Amino acid sequence: MIKKGLLLILLVGFVAVISGLLINFTGSNELNPLASYYAEKGPTEVGAANLVTAVVITYRGFDTLGEVTILFIAAAIVGFFLKTMNADTNRPLRLRKTSEILETASTLLVPTIFMLGAYIFVNGHLTPGGGFQGGAVIATGVMMIILARPASQFNHKLISVLESISGIGFVVMGVLGLVLASGFLNNAFLPLGKLGSLLSAGAIPIIYVFIGIKVGSELTSILDSLKENQNEI
Amino acid sequence: MVNPIHIVSIALGVAFALGFLGKREKLALGIVYTALAVMLAISASWLSHFWGNVTEPIQIFTGGFKPPFAINLQMGLAESVFTLLINTAGLLGAIYLANELLKAGKNMMIVFLVLVLGLNVMVMTRDLFNLFVFMEIQSIAIAGLVILNPDRKSIPAGFKYVIATGLISSLLLLGTVFIYYFGGTLNIDFISQESLLYVKGGSVAIFLVLLSIVLELKPFPANGWALDVYEGAHPGIGALISAASATAGVFVLDKLMVFGNFTFFNAISIIGAITFLGSNLLGIKQDNTRRLLGYSSVGQIGLIMTIIGLKPYLGENTKFIALAILLSHYLAKAGLFWLAGMVNADKLKDWGAIRGHRIYLFLMGTFIFTLVGFPPFPSFFGKWQLVMQLANNHHFWLLAIILIGSFFEGVYLFRWLGYAIKWDEVEQNYPKIKLNQFIPTVIFAVLAYALGFYFGELSGYKSTFIYMAAAFIAFLYIFDFLPVFVKNTLAIGAMALYYFANQDTFHGLTSIFFIIFVIGGIITLLAGYTFKGKRTGFYPLVMMMFAGLIGLLEAKTTLEFFFAWELMTAGSYFLIIRGKKSMEHALSYILFSVGGAYLILSGFGIAQIGHTGMGLDVLKDVHYYAPIAFTLMAIGFMTKLASIGLHIWLPGAHAEAEADVSPMVSAILLKAGILGLVMLFLSMGPQKLFGIDVLYVLSWVGVLTALMGNMMAAFQEDAKRLLAYSSIGVLGYALFGLTMMSHLGWLASLSIVVTHFMFKSLLFLAIGGVVMRTKTKYMYQMGGLIKQMPFSFVSVLIGIIVIAGLPPLTGFGGKWLMFNAIMENGWYFQAGIAFFAGVISFLYCFRLIHTIFLGQPKDELRNVKEAPFWMLVPQYIIITILLVLSALPNSMLKPIGQILLNYFPDGALVWHGQLAIGPYGYWNGKLILAIVTIIFLAVFAWLYIINRKAQKVKQFNIVYAAERPFRPETTHFAYNFYAPYQKALGFLVAPGITNFWDAVSDGAHAIADKIRSIYNGNGQTYLAHILGFTVIVYILMNGGF
Amino acid sequence: MAQYLTLEFIAMLTGFILIIIGLWGMITQKNLIKLVIGFSLFDTGLNIVIVSMAYVKNSTAPIIDKAVDVSQAASKIADPVPQALVLTSIVIGLGVTALMLAYVLRMYREKKSLDINSYTDLRW
Repeated sequence: MIKKGLLLILLVGFVAVISGLLINFTGSNELNPLASYYAEKGPTEVGAANLVTAVVITYRGFDTLGEVTILFIAAAIVGFFLKTMNADTNRPLRLRKTSEILETASTLLVPTIFMLGAYIFVNGHLTPGGGFQGGAVIATGVMMIILARPASQFNHKLISVLESISGIGFVVMGVLGLVLASGFLNNAFLPLGKLGSLLSAGAIPIIYVFIGIKVGSELTSILDSLKENQNEI
Repeated sequence: MVNPIHIVSIALGVAFALGFLGKREKLALGIVYTALAVMLAISASWLSHFWGNVTEPIQIFTGGFKPPFAINLQMGLAESVFTLLINTAGLLGAIYLANELLKAGKNMMIVFLVLVLGLNVMVMTRDLFNLFVFMEIQSIAIAGLVILNPDRKSIPAGFKYVIATGLISSLLLLGTVFIYYFGGTLNIDFISQESLLYVKGGSVAIFLVLLSIVLELKPFPANGWALDVYEGAHPGIGALISAASATAGVFVLDKLMVFGNFTFFNAISIIGAITFLGSNLLGIKQDNTRRLLGYSSVGQIGLIMTIIGLKPYLGENTKFIALAILLSHYLAKAGLFWLAGMVNADKLKDWGAIRGHRIYLFLMGTFIFTLVGFPPFPSFFGKWQLVMQLANNHHFWLLAIILIGSFFEGVYLFRWLGYAIKWDEVEQNYPKIKLNQFIPTVIFAVLAYALGFYFGELSGYKSTFIYMAAAFIAFLYIFDFLPVFVKNTLAIGAMALYYFANQDTFHGLTSIFFIIFVIGGIITLLAGYTFKGKRTGFYPLVMMMFAGLIGLLEAKTTLEFFFAWELMTAGSYFLIIRGKKSMEHALSYILFSVGGAYLILSGFGIAQIGHTGMGLDVLKDVHYYAPIAFTLMAIGFMTKLASIGLHIWLPGAHAEAEADVSPMVSAILLKAGILGLVMLFLSMGPQKLFGIDVLYVLSWVGVLTALMGNMMAAFQEDAKRLLAYSSIGVLGYALFGLTMMSHLGWLASLSIVVTHFMFKSLLFLAIGGVVMRTKTKYMYQMGGLIKQMPFSFVSVLIGIIVIAGLPPLTGFGGKWLMFNAIMENGWYFQAGIAFFAGVISFLYCFRLIHTIFLGQPKDELRNVKEAPFWMLVPQYIIITILLVLSALPNSMLKPIGQILLNYFPDGALVWHGQLAIGPYGYWNGKLILAIVTIIFLAVFAWLYIINRKAQKVKQFNIVYAAERPFRPETTHFAYNFYAPYQKALGFLVAPGITNFWDAVSDGAHAIADKIRSIYNGNGQTYLAHILGFTVIVYILMNGGF
Repeated sequence: MAQYLTLEFIAMLTGFILIIIGLWGMITQKNLIKLVIGFSLFDTGLNIVIVSMAYVKNSTAPIIDKAVDVSQAASKIADPVPQALVLTSIVIGLGVTALMLAYVLRMYREKKSLDINSYTDLRW
């Protein structure tokens, strides 16, 4: 009890520290100069209708590269965990019976989900969405497969190749930006096109496709690793 | 120049591409090595670009837009240095881990590569949020690498690491986004401190950002998670975290400190200092190798944090100091972790397995001395400069904390080194040298020396003598396979060469020490011919010690002096630890030495306040706190000459050393302390500390040392210990003489110093010879050796006559002068004690000769031979000199007096031939020698005639007659020889001082044990620590919420 | 007080409350899974904080379409930067959570215990 009390005091102290952030927060009435710049120059410099995408893929594209890398190594580590665990335990695998409805519905839904995911990342520069969102949607499809057909095995080789191709693709896009345009990850080495059309914003749609595939395959690989470590699915 | 962005594109490209390779792990590893090598080459090429040519750093605009609209990376001199360090550690670390990585597979190779990449970007990026992203990459990658070898240790450690860094980076993110909200930008160069600190929310945001960076650097006590990782992870990973990751973290902190104001700088320096002190204190209780290294890593990074926090005071010097210490940490810590992986000994004592292995010990010694800050390593110069600057800014508390922390670090590191060199309760077991592990370690060791040289150049350290000596030492180390005969000749030759080349260089008082160090060195080295075989490792160490001693004389600046001082300490430490049963004694020797050296260092620091140069003459004109500087240095030097209270290291260290090392360390090395005091007293003269005359206090210390040293000598059973205690006593006299600050006092003191050199080498060599033959050091196990070892007997006889200050030999001259000087000064109390102490010295002298050479010989010792020829040669050289000087005392005293006239013109002796006239009488050495010789011969003849009728006693007549004693030695007359005196006076020599130091040590260990219980191993507690640390630092910085 | 009764402030406050709840979970819950949930809550709260920061009064999503014309974009849209940041933050949170869960799985496999107190072998 005393321990909890101490922890509570600690937490109250911490609240007092961070409340300094809250009391000065009054919202904003207008964009700050940086955001205004993005709003004004973004459409012409980057050519993406979705300004968030412009920031995510071009202005702060380097963050996004890092982000993809994080997912990548997280998947790699989780995969490594799985491998070493399977190596040292010989456990019985019990498969849970799944319901007819789930199995049937998944047959119908999974392709649709995959298509939706692809749609989201292809249109990432125009509508709310993008590679991460699309990739995550694809991963929900994978999740559904796992739930509906626990016995199904994924093609590790394929996942791994997809991961590699999309990752390298992203890096290559970045280098092309450096070589052909004004800097690493600059999208303007392809024509910017007409604002708002599908084939616009230079390399952004291509990058988003790579990210979508990358995120989708990483998340699949994480799910797969976690799945393979269950005694009971 | 390759665009630095390709560090990123290559690393990521390769990391992503490894997926194609399927199961071809070897190929994958080769590609990873190539990528790391290219990254290394890129940063190296940028370093060479910026080296010595001051140009603006270049900016890399990602996204193709200028900041603040896009993220930019920066590559300048600093960035190129730090990325080079990271990539070097990355490449060598990956080579070190080759087998582990191959076993773990390509996933771990990817993680490894990405870790190195993340650290690179952390250094280069100028965007706050980007920094957050890449710090996350670093954390996740480390969390992954911790389980490179998943086991019961590493997995929980990794989990604690994940949750702790998860919390820390969440705090970082919270601060970062609010910096964006209040500051309108994320670019580090555009975030202006004023506008942010002005609003409460902005200052909290900055606080959170800086604090989370500090937390990433593992401040005490919110660092339990980090220690677990160091302990649990593979040592190769530990090396990477400690060397590369911490290096990047330090750079980030430095980069972000532009946000902070003065309060932040102060806070960082205090947090750092507490971390340094705290972790090193806890380190002394640690017996697990990797965790010990963890404590040391955390401590070192704390020290660097302090330096960063002190930037407003240190100014331009910050770079030099921080880099010197960081580089030493980087090299030494990676090296030690790697070594720990090769030796694979969990407990410190298990390191005894590598005792006697030259290469492992060489590497380990190099790294440990680098960490502690010994010359010639960069940390030595860094610490020196830091202390000078701290003193200049009157930061005495911080100075004390840092030196105490360093001392604690010395305690555990030297204890560990001692185990590796000496601990013989584990089986010797040399791990097989694997080249992929061995080569990186050797590279780092070599770099430690090379960078030491470079930092020495930067600090203006240039001593041709030391460089030549270093070359010679290296030569001896490499050609260590030569037989003793050759190496000994080379060593003597080098010393002789030095003597003849420099005999006119030294004038004044230094010439006395020049003769003692060089001629003394040659004479004692002669005894080395006794030894057969190779005597592995002995000669480089001896030469190191002598180089240090001579370096003291060559020194023109305080830095050169201190360099030589530490060199001598290091050399003598290794010499001492070579002896039998010497592990503990060597440890206490080095600890007292390091402690003393720190006192000297802080004395030098205080003395140079307000001076621009570092010449030794700053001591003559100390602007501030002169009495304190004086006292600190005096105590420091007295540690070396083992004055009472600081003497407990000496008896063991001198007694356990080898036969010819004892005379070196006892007769020669101790004089370094005298040299220091001479220099100090002459430069700074009498000083009053809080109204008390320091010299007066020291004069009491001197006589008491003489008294106690002699008494303890009288009660020893061990002949070498007896001699060791006697050295303490004699040097007490010498100290006492110096404190009188008069012509006669100094003349007495210096003549004692010279004489002590002679009789102590003589006695230690003679006794060393006896011990060699009898295989025991206990006097009650000897006896009656006069027939077997007549030459040694004569040596000892002459030695004790000198030691006891009996006429006719030179010892008497010293005593006579001493009493003259005391009378002149009017110090009658001290005179009484000095006289009494002199009487006691008869006791141990008598015991020495009687119990060893007279009485009944032991059965088992009936066939011992005379001491080896080469042990006797130096003895008889010394005896010859002693006799000459006794007959012609003016050949020694007159030149010394002449020199002293420069400093103390009044009260000199007046010489008429061999007749010396002092204020209280006169002394004619030649005459006395003649008279005493005649009397001696007369008495001897008379006794010889009378004693012919004495009955010869058979061996078993008396001893063991009707008893079956359990401890037979107790019935021997030589055992507890002075029991009655011991009964009367024993309380005076009860080991009170030893007990005191033991209590200090136990106390420190107990405190450390108590404090470290906060690391209860529970990850959740560690989270609470992090939170509590945040809250407390916030309150302390803001005085509330 | 009125200044605090705004949409964005309430959203922000909610984020902070989630952060606190998550933190409480992290420092008090002995069960490893609950601890990870605590972290996840903290993370979610943080993301809400970031998103509410992006809001500019009376603005719409930062996408140029029929509703927002290029010329008047600067006066009509919410700040795109925090929205980009939150995307990164979410993904990172996901990666860290996955890693934590993998660790928990593995720890459970080793010792068959989800109590954090059973993993204190390394200490002092």
